[in-house]
Amino acid sequence: MAQHYSSFDRGGRRWLFQRLTAVFLIGVLAFHFMLLHFVNHAADLTFLGTQARMSQVSYFATMWLFLVTATFHGVNGVYNALVNQGLTGSRKNAVKYLLGIAGLLLVVQGTRVSLAMTTLV
Amino acid sequence: MSQSYNRGTVEDFGRWREFSAGMWAWIFHKFTGWVLVGYLFTHIAVLSTSVGVDPASAQAGSDLYTSTISGLESLLIVRFLEVGLLAVAVFHILNGIRLLMVDLGVGLESQDKSFYASLLLTGAIVVASVPTFLGGKLA
Amino acid sequence: MSTQIEQQETETEADEETEPEVESPGERRRAQRDERQAIEEAQRETEEASLDDENTITLKVFRYDPEVEGKQEPRFDDFRVPFHKGMTVLDALIYARDHYDSSLTFRHSCRQAVCGSDALFVNGKQRLGCKTQMSELDDPVRIEPLPHQEVVKDLVVDMEHFYDQMEAVEPYFDADETPDDKLEEQRQTRENREKVKMSTRCIWCGACMSSCNIAAGDNEYLGPAAINKAYRFAMDEREGENRKQERLRIIEQEHGVWRCQTQFSCTEVCPKDIPLTEHIQELKREAVKNNLKFW
Ligand code: HEM
Ligand code: HEM
Ligand code: SF4
Ligand code: FES
Repeated sequence: MAQHYSSFDRGGRRWLFQRLTAVFLIGVLAFHFMLLHFVNHAADLTFLGTQARMSQVSYFATMWLFLVTATFHGVNGVYNALVNQGLTGSRKNAVKYLLGIAGLLLVVQGTRVSLAMTTLV
Repeated sequence: MSQSYNRGTVEDFGRWREFSAGMWAWIFHKFTGWVLVGYLFTHIAVLSTSVGVDPASAQAGSDLYTSTISGLESLLIVRFLEVGLLAVAVFHILNGIRLLMVDLGVGLESQDKSFYASLLLTGAIVVASVPTFLGGKLA
Repeated sequence: MSTQIEQQETETEADEETEPEVESPGERRRAQRDERQAIEEAQRETEEASLDDENTITLKVFRYDPEVEGKQEPRFDDFRVPFHKGMTVLDALIYARDHYDSSLTFRHSCRQAVCGSDALFVNGKQRLGCKTQMSELDDPVRIEPLPHQEVVKDLVVDMEHFYDQMEAVEPYFDADETPDDKLEEQRQTRENREKVKMSTRCIWCGACMSSCNIAAGDNEYLGPAAINKAYRFAMDEREGENRKQERLRIIEQEHGVWRCQTQFSCTEVCPKDIPLTEHIQELKREAVKNNLKFW
């Protein structure tokens, strides 16, 4: 039962980050919905409107953090769900890397998008 | 144990009628979580139309980003899907708060009641938001 | 719990011993068997007919036996048993076995919720046979072996995996330091005793494990009972800091506490009312706090 005593990835860190990102997401997701459906009507969204919002440092930072935390939370959540279903061994490793890469690509593309939306850089 | 009878996984779902509040909460949270990640990937794909927008057409409001979004929003089906997304997000948030409380060891005795409360509140918020979501010009 | 059944049991045995005279041993045995079956059947019919509808309960019992032809395909058998006040599911099963079908197989021993041998799936929920009143259940009462465990025969499931998981958390008291005088008592404070009190009540019945969705999917998951065992010792202050670290290491593996999805199904079925989810959650927080100290 040597594996019981290895200190590498015991799962606690991911558990904690899942909760910490959740706390952050509560506020941001609610805010996002309010802003883009009630304050600004979704149908009236324009590039200029987006650009104006995304060019404020605080809004830009919030949205980028939203992107990163939501990606981690979502991808980690999916991975967890699969481990719960009894995914093990090499298939588990393959899924781990696949999800990791998918998450990374999403953050990279999301960052490109956010940069295209802003006049900050 | 060569001879034994394994009833398999069929029974898990065959027994949904016997599930209790906490199990339903788990299933709903799972479902809503997956919808949200799915949406996030699509969302970034749609927002990618903002990359390389030509400033002149943006001024005129005829750029790809603006037209893609208003094009999507003009479809009634998209409006309905958005109401669905709202429902999913609101439930995931409310039940997420419930789960965070459970993680902190707060109110464990009323975990079933807080699940029903999440459901009711989700329903109420969604119903109240329908006019805003479906209303507005369909263009 | 009833003891009246005993007398009737002896009557049945006496009936079975009447021997007819036939030539070959094989024929004799078959004739004997036929006769016995006929007698049993007749007895069962008279018995069932004598029961008035008001006071009987129908059991629908899962039957399966890989070694008997005709029972290899699982099925449900109906038994009508007389109801009496205070009757438990276990009493009803014992009645059915003693009066109708002596091959009906299930585990039981203490009849008082102590030994943990008769956890069953009764009307869609994991319950202890000897602790469940028939009067609480809707008629007909459907009795099945515990889900998510392999069925050996009728209501008997293979508990090996469950016991393995229990052993994996090293479920025994093991203090860092023992008193110099080996006979000296190792006293626990009252508060500490209160803290672990509920967790000490586990009777290893396996009901919780059987109710858990995650344990069903992830075979390596320690499961509620084993984690509760770990809690019982990790929270025992007499064991000392070193032992506690070792214990936390076991429960914070990937297939330890983190797999718990707080569905509360284990807490709801535990016949000893152990707040399992609460204990698992406390261990999660304990493990996180502990790791934060080391970062
Ligand atoms: C139907 C409802 C939604 C609408 C109309 C909407 C619309 C938008 C718009 C227009 C932006 C660009 C920023 C801005 O204009 O201020 C944006 C950004 C973003 N949205 Fe949404 N959104 C919705 C729901 C969601 C949901 C449910 C999520 C989370 C899963 C999400 C995650 C994000 C993220 C992470 C960004 C930042 C993208 C980046 O930095 O590249 N949105 N959204
Ligand atoms: C808005 C506030 C949110 C809160 C409070 C929240 C809370 C939580 C919590 C506590 C869990 C862990 C459940 C468990 O392991 O027992 C979880 C799982 C999950 N969340 Fe969220 N979440 C939020 C937003 C999001 C968003 C924006 C996404 C999508 C990008 C998402 C996707 C998921 C997924 C996929 C899971 C795993 C579901 C499963 O077990 O299959 N969540 N959420
Ligand atoms: S924790 Fe409760 S349900 Fe689980 S094995 Fe122990 S007594 Fe049975
Ligand atoms: S017979 Fe011992 S617990 Fe039920």
